[in-house]
Formats: sequence, C-alpha cells, structure tokens
Amino acid sequence: MSFSRRDFIKTAGIAFGTAAVLPSWVYDAQAATEYYFDVNKSSIADAVLATAKRLGASYADIRINRYRLQAVSTRERQIQNMSAGQNFGFGVRVLVNGTWGFAASPIVTSDEAQRVTREAIDIAKANARFQRKKIELVPTPKVEANWRTPIEKDPFDVPAEEKAALLLKINEAALSVQGINFVNSSMAWVNEQKYLATSDGVKVEQYLIRGNPSFSATAVNRASGDFQAVNSLREAQSIGYEYMTKYDWPAEAREAAEHAVMKLKAPSVKPGKYDLVLHPSHLFLTIHESVGHSTELDRALLWEANYAGTSFLTPDKTGKLQFGSKIVNFVADRTQKFGLATVGYDDEGVPGQEWHLVKDGVFVDWQTTRDTAKIVGHDKSYGCLHADSWGSVPFPRMPNVSLEPAKENVTEDDLIADVENGIMIYGRGSYSIDQQRYNFQFGGQTFWEIKNGKKVGMLRDVAYQSRTTDFWGACDGLGGRSTYDIPGSFNDGKGEPGQSNAVSHGCPTARFRQINVLNTASSPNSGDMEDHD
Amino acid sequence: MLFTESEAKKLTEKILSYVKADDASASVGSDKLSHLRFANNNFLTSGSRVGRSANVTVWIDGKRGSASRNDVDDESLKSMVEEAQKIAQNAPPDREYMPTLGKQAYKPTGGYVEATANLSLTDRARSVGDIISEFEKNKVIGAGFHAARSQAGASATKNGNFDYERSTNVSLSVTSRTPDGTSSGYFLRNHFDIAKLDTKRIAAESIKKAMQGRDARTIDPGAYTVILEPQAVADIVGNLGFTFNARNAEEGRSVYSAPGGKTRLGEKIFDERIMIYSDPWHPELPGSQSAQGGIPAQKIYMVRNGVLENLVYNRFWAKQKEKDPTPGPVNTIFETGGEKASIEDMIKSTKKGILVTRFWYIRSTDPRTASSTGLTRDGVWLIEDGKIAYPVKNFRFNQSVTQMLAQGNVEMIGASERVGGSGGGSGASLLPALKLRSFNFTSQSEAV
Repeated sequence: MSFSRRDFIKTAGIAFGTAAVLPSWVYDAQAATEYYFDVNKSSIADAVLATAKRLGASYADIRINRYRLQAVSTRERQIQNMSAGQNFGFGVRVLVNGTWGFAASPIVTSDEAQRVTREAIDIAKANARFQRKKIELVPTPKVEANWRTPIEKDPFDVPAEEKAALLLKINEAALSVQGINFVNSSMAWVNEQKYLATSDGVKVEQYLIRGNPSFSATAVNRASGDFQAVNSLREAQSIGYEYMTKYDWPAEAREAAEHAVMKLKAPSVKPGKYDLVLHPSHLFLTIHESVGHSTELDRALLWEANYAGTSFLTPDKTGKLQFGSKIVNFVADRTQKFGLATVGYDDEGVPGQEWHLVKDGVFVDWQTTRDTAKIVGHDKSYGCLHADSWGSVPFPRMPNVSLEPAKENVTEDDLIADVENGIMIYGRGSYSIDQQRYNFQFGGQTFWEIKNGKKVGMLRDVAYQSRTTDFWGACDGLGGRSTYDIPGSFNDGKGEPGQSNAVSHGCPTARFRQINVLNTASSPNSGDMEDHD
Repeated sequence: MLFTESEAKKLTEKILSYVKADDASASVGSDKLSHLRFANNNFLTSGSRVGRSANVTVWIDGKRGSASRNDVDDESLKSMVEEAQKIAQNAPPDREYMPTLGKQAYKPTGGYVEATANLSLTDRARSVGDIISEFEKNKVIGAGFHAARSQAGASATKNGNFDYERSTNVSLSVTSRTPDGTSSGYFLRNHFDIAKLDTKRIAAESIKKAMQGRDARTIDPGAYTVILEPQAVADIVGNLGFTFNARNAEEGRSVYSAPGGKTRLGEKIFDERIMIYSDPWHPELPGSQSAQGGIPAQKIYMVRNGVLENLVYNRFWAKQKEKDPTPGPVNTIFETGGEKASIEDMIKSTKKGILVTRFWYIRSTDPRTASSTGLTRDGVWLIEDGKIAYPVKNFRFNQSVTQMLAQGNVEMIGASERVGGSGGGSGASLLPALKLRSFNFTSQSEAV
C-alpha cells in the first residue's frame, strides 16, 4: 500500500519539523514483550470437548484468548492517558438438541473449564425444552494451523512514550495554525492472541494486530460562539507500527487544522441536488452502512430484528435485485491486506476467503456462518463468525466489504472534470441509516464545491440523504487503483449483548449523480419546512 | 462470584501495597452477565459470563501511568502495578493531576437485589417460552433479549479513600413483526429488581403495536406536532444535550456556550416546567453513591424550571475555575414541575399530529445547536381530531433537542417512568411522554 497522501495534501506544501522538539522523556524502548499462553490449552480443550460430547452436545468449541490493549490519548500539549491492559479467559459454546448454550470465565484452569462446560450445557438444555426449530450447521474442513497478521513492526514492542511523543508532535503541528484552539489525538493498539478448538477437528492459533490512530483539530470563534472541527482522514487498519512512521501524520494534522479554520468562514451549503464525488476516507462508511450491513444473512433471517434491525434484502432477491449501476461490484474479503476483518480463520475455524456480494450491479450473495448458511441451502460457510471477547457468544459479523476500482487508470481529476455542479466529500462525519439499511444520511469532515469540472472552494454544513439502491444506481464513475484506499471502522456495534467488530472497506474515489443534499445547520424551526400542524 | 466488600477491600489494599509511586488509585470490579436472545419465534443464543478486573493509576513526580488486568492473583496484580509505574516513569507530566481523595463519607444508595443476580435458568426459559407462545397465538414473528447483570466493585486511593458498591439490572426488550413484514412493534423495560420486571406486559405491548401498525400509509414529511412516548424520549434525550460539561461550555464548544467565552448558566433554555436532576437515592432509579472523581454524590439539579442551573465541573476544572467539583449527575430524572398529562390526554388535545414509539440510529449533526438526525421505528401513527387515525410509515428527522424542549414548543408533559434507551446498553432514566408543538421529519423511510 502506498502511504502517499491525498492530492490536496501534497499541494499544500507542508514542511513541518522546525517546531518539533522531542521531549527529553523519550527513553529507550521497553523490552519486546509477547505474552505466550501460559496454560496447557490443548489439554484443557480436549477435556472440554470430551465432556461436552458426554453430556449430550452434538457440537462444541472452546476459545482461549488473550487480548492486549495499549492506548495513549492527548490534548494540546498534555497527555491525558497512557494505559496498558490485558484480558485473558475462555468461552465454551455447545449445541445440545439443536439449541445453543454458552458460558465463559477468566479463570483458565482445567477445573473451571469443566464447570463452565457444564454450565453451557445446562443453559442449552433449559432452553431446548422450549425450542421450536433446531439449529443445524454446514460442514467445514478439519484444520490445524497458525496464522499471524503480516506486520513489519509490532506496536507492542514500541514504548508508550514514543507513541505519546508522536501524538504531541501531531498536536503541535495543528496548534501551529493560527486560529486553532484545541486539538485531541489518540492511538489505540489491539493484539488478539486466539486459540480455537472445535469438536469438528479444528485447532487454530492466531496473532492479530490492529491500530486506531486519530486526531481532531477545533477552531472556535468566541465572539460569535461558533466552532468547527476537522478530524483525521486516515482510519484504523490491521497493520504494524509502520503505519505511524511511514505516513506523515503531523502534515495531515496541520492541514486538518487549516481546514477547520477555513470551515469557520466557509459558506453554508444551499440544499438541493448535487453530483457527489466521494473520497475513500468518506465513502468507506457509506459502504459499511448500506452494503456491509444489508448483506448480512442473519439480519435477513430476522435474527437482529430486536436490535440492529433486518435488511431490505431477502433470500428470494438473491441473484435478482439490481443493487446498483452495472459498474458496481462489491467483494467480501477476509484476506485483504490491511483489512481490519482479515483473519486466517473465523471463530469456528472456517478459512478466510473472498467472494462477490454484488456483481455487475446485481445482488448475488450473503455473508454467512455455519448456522445461517444451512438455512439458505449453502453447503459451506463463508467464515463470518466472530466474538469480540472470550466472554462473548460468537455470532455473524461483517467481513471486509470492498468496492472494486475501475480497471482503467481513472483519476480523481477525471471524475471531477465531468461535474458541473457538485460537492466532493472527505472523511467520516455524522452517519445514520434505518434498521433495514435503506434510508440514510451521511455527513463528512470537509466539503469542496465543484463548479464546471473544478474544485472551487470549501462548503460547510453538508449532509446527503438517499436510499441504498437509488444511491448505488446513481454511481456512474469509479476511480482506478491509484485512488483506492482501505479505511476501516474500529468499533462496529451489533448483537445482544452488544459486541464490537473491526472492519474495513476498500474503495476508490467514486461519483454519484443528482443526490439530495441538505443543510445541517439550518434552524429546524425556521420555516424552511412545510408545516403540518 | 461477585466480590464482597471485604474481598474487594483486601484486593485494593494489596494493589496499593505494591505501589511505590507518590500517589495512586486502585480499583477492582466483578460482574456476572446472564442472557438469552430469541428471534424468529425461536431461541437463538444464550450464555453466561463472569468477569473481573483490576486497574491501577499511579503518579510519580506528577507523571501518570495506568494499567489493567483481569487476573487478580498476586503475580498479575504485581505486574500490573509495575507496568503502570513504568509508564509513569517515562511519561510527560500530567498537567491535570489532582491528588487522590482522602477518606470520604458515602451514603449507600441500594439498587442490588439477590434474586436478580441469581436468576433461575428454568424460570427464564419458561418465561421466554411463554412469550414465544404469545407470538404464535397472535400470528406475529417475534424477537427479543433478556439480560440480567450484577456488578460489584471498589476503588481505593493511597490517600485513604475506599468506595464499595454493587448493583443489579435486568432488562427485557421485545420486537413483534407481522409475517408480511409490513408492521413492527417494540417495547423495552428494565429494573434492578427482577420481581418488578413485567415480562407479560412487555410482550403484550410489543405485539399490540405490531397488530395496530398494519396497513401503514405514506404521508409527507415536514414539521408536525408530535407525541413522544417515554421510549422515544429516552432515545433522543439519552443521546444528546445532557452532557452538561462545564469545560466544553467554557471552551466555547458546546450548546451551553455563549458568545464571548461565557456559558448559558442561569439562562432559561428549556420550557419553564422542565426539571432535570440527579438523585442517587431515588427509590425507582438508585444511582451510584460516588460522582465523578469519587466525590460523594448528592442530589443536584441541572435544569430547574427550565433554567440551566448547573454544569459539571470535574475536580481539575473546578480547581482551575475556583469552584467546587460537581457532585453528579449519577442518574437522569426528567420531570414536569406542572400538571402531568397522560398519553390519552395528549392525543385528545391534538388536532393533527404524529405519535412516535421509538427513535433509532440517532447521530449528532451539529453540536452547536445539539441537533441530530435519526429515524422513527416500530410504530408511528397519525392523530387527527383527537383520535389515532391510522398508522403511517417511518420518517427520518433532523431536530435540535434544545429547540425541541424550548419554551413555546413543549405543550404537555407526562408522568415520568423508568425507561432505558433502545440503542443498546442497560442504562435507565426516569422520563415522561412529551407533546411537542413542532418536530421536523425530513424524509420518508420505507424501513419496517
């Protein structure tokens, strides 16, 4: 992946560095630390799976996981938090009489594993008495494997103070811009050390890394009481600490600060229909909400009806529904480099794989797990089972869902050149979508007016509303590979109890015709609405 | 499995005994979560999890470091303290350091019920089995979530404070859908006492809404008079507006900021009947005995008679501004100081309006005006000439919460009841139904 920045960052001519004096507290790196499992997980797993079978389970699995987290957060010239945490435990899942049971504990011993297994069986049996329809699983191959996120530098080998120094440098860059009052920055790194054994012959160990750096610069006009913020455009990735050193974060911070100051003075958008050119730093979240969630099979099966919602897509629409224009192709991919949902194997041992969800504009397939795949007659799972902790029940979660770029070398300028009256949007802003993933409203970080094929200046208070199929049907231009990036979301909520998933959405810059834009600052009771009193 | 007070005290003392730093705070927590998820008139997933945690924050020469573990054996706690001290040694000065509190006097608040903490798996399975039977009888497709959580934990400081608390919460939410997928109803309630969770009522209200929401018609978006049920109020008010952060307001980046670096304290921002306060000892909504920073919680008004009476000063910001740190809020109670209207009264008095069950996916669009966007969900009806006329399809809204609650826009306020936000989490507030003169629906949503 290229770490080159957006074109307009390049043209800003930023040469940060003179103000960057590293504090004297930058000490030598801590000794590299990798916490290997200190329990005999294989023998605990074998005993658990045997007990589950003896007590009546037709299927069982055990996950023994350790999670490490390092987080640093700052504001202006001070550190707000430097913390490190570890979390270790195991969860046992059993299928008894076609009914799931699950129990988990942080005490990783043979005795506790036996107790927890019996508890999971008791829960399944108590509920099985009232179960209407049995849960069944499609088969998956036996596997014994070890998989690691490909990284250059393990972030857990980098001392916290080095991370804090970089964040303060980012803040200093933003504060060097006249008119900037506040800046916050943070960095979080997660390491998952996962062990999975199932009664179907899976034994898999994985070492996963992901990072979430971000900042926000705020400009305040105290006289008028107005304020505007611009956040970082780069997003979380599955990547090593090289993410922080190969990309010029302070330069982006300075530019974000300049944009926050510009935003205070920018004209407010006039509502109406515009052609939109959407940068990957913005478009990824629109893909996440409208495509990623609508193609989750558990939603279509009404399993999420009580919380996250269902989907406008239903199994009978597979292979038939026109989801978008013919240039639109979405690929689900658990193998994509830098993808936050990239794994070797999912949480029931199904290997990471790649498949089309939307092909030539037509909705063709779903995200599946072993239990949901069975219901729609598939003979295998696509490997979308995930739990956010040893203590959470694994359930269907989103893989990386990415929009394929144009095969030709289409540039951002090429896409803009054909726009008479439009807006280019960067960054994730406010976003909201209905429970069937149809009607949505998205904002961004920065908005640039396009007139007669050229970006002419900044706008503010922009959001657009559309319906998923209308929106993707209006896509008439895709950038080529040179415009492609793979931003991601570190915390995607779903399920009950609520769980978090990290997932990425690769995409090129893309163009959409005649989308409804509204002004988010217009006074709600100012009379610009038709009154139905 | 939950830590008793003496166990928690021993653990925090042990953590602090390992500390070589100048100042420190230690905390330990334990919890148990037991849950059952059902959907498509079937049991889906069900589980139990016990958890525990230990945290330490230390300061060395005014430099801060924190570390956490979920193992509480001696070796883990020692390594946790060492890790925090190592971070502190290498950290830059904590410019917002405040010495940890000395011994405080707390007044216990209640909110822990043994029967909630140790619910019976069989009783729960039967209760959900009964709900599924009701779905079948009424020919709806139902889903829901039953969850009971108990927590116990303590925090202690090197300067001698110790605070132990425990609590329980059980919640049930139910969604009913008609088989043709054209109507959906939802109901959620929670309580700290499982005996007070009326599972039959929750299921019945959800089913009733789904049955009454069939054949929804399309009407134009626009500004309408609305009646928000307490669930809808929980969803929109729970997300926005009530952060009351003094620092943000004084820094000029809050809806409570005023031009010239001032705040809107003392200003009548809301309808003069509106009272928003926190009461740790409310019998229906017990809060924590300790407020932010560990100071003993007190009953405190944020808004009284519509006037912004308090903003929240944490210990650091209070010292900067030479004020006392704010002893709350630890819960949210929104009440009318005037007459209480029933939802029936509100409907009767409405010539044309919309009745809203619930809001969904609410996100801030402009923090300067506490504006947000979101959608209605699971039951919307048109009211005409004092009666419910017919169900209507969902809308997206764009609305400022402060303008929504301003003088002149609030027509009627109901009696407050305990309700949780439907966007996840187990929090609860005491909130009323509201009749509002004008509320902005900006587009249609076909979603059901």
